[in-house]
Amino acid sequence: MANSPPKSGAAQGSGEIRLVNVTKQFGNSYAVKDINLTIPHGSYCCLLGPSGCGKTTILRMIAGHETPTSGEIYIGNDMVVGKPPVERGTAMMFQSYALFPHLTIQDNVAFYLKMRGVGKEERRRRALEMLQRVQLDHLKDRMPAQLSGGQQQRVALARSLITNPKVLLLDEPLSALDEFLRLRMRGELKSLQNELGITFVHVTHTQPEAIALADMVVVMDTGRIDQADTANVIFDRPATPYVARFMGGQNVLTGTVTGGGGPGTIRLKAADGSHFETMANGEKPKSELSVAVRRDRIALRRRNGDIASNAVNALWGVVSATEYQGSYVKVTLDVGGQVFVANVSDRDYFAEPVERGDPVVASWKTEDVHILGKVDTGAAGDPYLDAGH
Amino acid sequence: MTPTPSTSKASLTTYLQVAPLTLVLILFFAIPVALVVVVSFFRYQMLVGIVPDFTLKNYIDLFSNPTTWTLYLSTLKFTLIVLVITFVLGFWIAYFLVFHVRNLITAIGLFLVCTVPFWTSNIIRMISWRPVLGTEGLINSALLKLGVIDQPLQWLLYSDFSVVVAYVHLFTLFMIVPIFNSMARIDKSLLEAAVDAGATRWGVVWNVVLPLCKTGIALGALFVVTLVMGDFFVVTVMSGGLSGSATSGIFNDLQFLNYPRAAANAVILLIVVLLIASAIFRLVDVRKELVR
Repeated sequence: MANSPPKSGAAQGSGEIRLVNVTKQFGNSYAVKDINLTIPHGSYCCLLGPSGCGKTTILRMIAGHETPTSGEIYIGNDMVVGKPPVERGTAMMFQSYALFPHLTIQDNVAFYLKMRGVGKEERRRRALEMLQRVQLDHLKDRMPAQLSGGQQQRVALARSLITNPKVLLLDEPLSALDEFLRLRMRGELKSLQNELGITFVHVTHTQPEAIALADMVVVMDTGRIDQADTANVIFDRPATPYVARFMGGQNVLTGTVTGGGGPGTIRLKAADGSHFETMANGEKPKSELSVAVRRDRIALRRRNGDIASNAVNALWGVVSATEYQGSYVKVTLDVGGQVFVANVSDRDYFAEPVERGDPVVASWKTEDVHILGKVDTGAAGDPYLDAGH
Repeated sequence: MTPTPSTSKASLTTYLQVAPLTLVLILFFAIPVALVVVVSFFRYQMLVGIVPDFTLKNYIDLFSNPTTWTLYLSTLKFTLIVLVITFVLGFWIAYFLVFHVRNLITAIGLFLVCTVPFWTSNIIRMISWRPVLGTEGLINSALLKLGVIDQPLQWLLYSDFSVVVAYVHLFTLFMIVPIFNSMARIDKSLLEAAVDAGATRWGVVWNVVLPLCKTGIALGALFVVTLVMGDFFVVTVMSGGLSGSATSGIFNDLQFLNYPRAAANAVILLIVVLLIASAIFRLVDVRKELVR
């Protein structure tokens, strides 16, 4: 036991993944179109988007289970298109775990070694070591169907890791678990990635999962990447109205630039006649502009009488719902037919509670307004317009 | 609401539900088989026919007759050859249909093509081999014209070869269907997981597909074994009467109205088939897989 054999060289080399102009077509429709993306070595990257946005296709192309129609994929310095998974140094954990139902979990984990022609004793021993790492060695003779979902996932993880990959690809790994297990496995995945130091690429459609785990979040929309950055930037400074809505936590407002406001600011006029200010960034007058304001930066107060028609950074509306979230209260307003959400801290809320039907004024500071890179086109093709995250 | 009456009522319902099938099975399966077993111990008397008795003479006759052994050996030989060929064909055809044809409609279309031989009767299917395999047949005349041979091949028709050809033609579908069925239930991501773990294409088939199709293979083998073991018609027609099968022994006895010996032979055949079937079931727990 003292002399464990040297690990295979697969873990050496960089796990940096580079996609260059990658396109994948199924028939006449594009699953992904002209994607460029670099995932740094040793990072935890989450591909985030609604179902059908192409995130799983990207993962499968990196894994080698799908061939891009055009474009190049590099892992480290190697162009990997056309190579089998083992030569790429990738290992994939499937959404359904894809454990072999006819093999014990020990033989499931040992499968890779068996394919490499490692002797029976040797591969059983190494599989057992791997099972010990995921604390399932006491169940080594069970069949996959006899395990719980969480245990099956650990087996799948052990089976992926025994290949000693540079890149671990996870396809919605937490979606089949219940809430409690999901949170626990989330933590374990993160610490595992820290410990191994290899690149993790994790596909998910759940925003909190991506924010909690990822060093790098890639937000996707129907075959293209909308924004790829750290979780903090994605959440705090979304690039487009789509990202702002999909990540939640933002209100998107659109107006026409009417001119300068205070020093270094410009003023916008919305369609409903309200005015906002934002820090100037070289925007031309008369152009349309969309901005985002975080929900937790909104101050609410009861409305007493009309607000001045020239009030800036203020909207008046009617409370349509309140939802207690523990540390804050989510107050949904109806602002001239549009949805506007304020997350009010519980202290502020209970100091001056508002109820459904109450008229209120929502206001914010100019420096909390963030300019979006695209003009909001509204609900057309955006299923997340009213999504209440 | 005491439990006793409700349970007895429930069990009565259960019995009633099972009754029709039980009756059919008793009437058309259990009683005939029991009759055959009983008759197999009766005595056969020339000109008189069946005489009730308890004698082992029929069995002793059969076992001491070398023809019986030859017929059984020949039947087993055909069974084994046909089993191997239909398995190889059936497995790869099913594999192609399930894993290589991506379009479901194409797959169903090709599957229907497999059933084309069954659109005509057994006899026509067999007879249609004659113009192909015969001395003046398609293959022989083609080979002669090409100059590959200068004498027509005699072993093409009325030989073991033609018997096997006919069996394979008739029974491959019975192998394809159950294997197709169990293959179609394999999660495709299992194949990808195997590739991910470094399995070659052949490694995937050997380590994943084949073990997961065991049920289908066993069921297909069961069909083929029972069909070939129970056949006398194909073997008689296609061998031109040169070969026989265990069943043709029974047929001959029946023609001489020797029902007791035919019955004894039938019992032996039944036992042989049951032994093979139980061997297959021992290899694969078909019941467990069927309820899955």
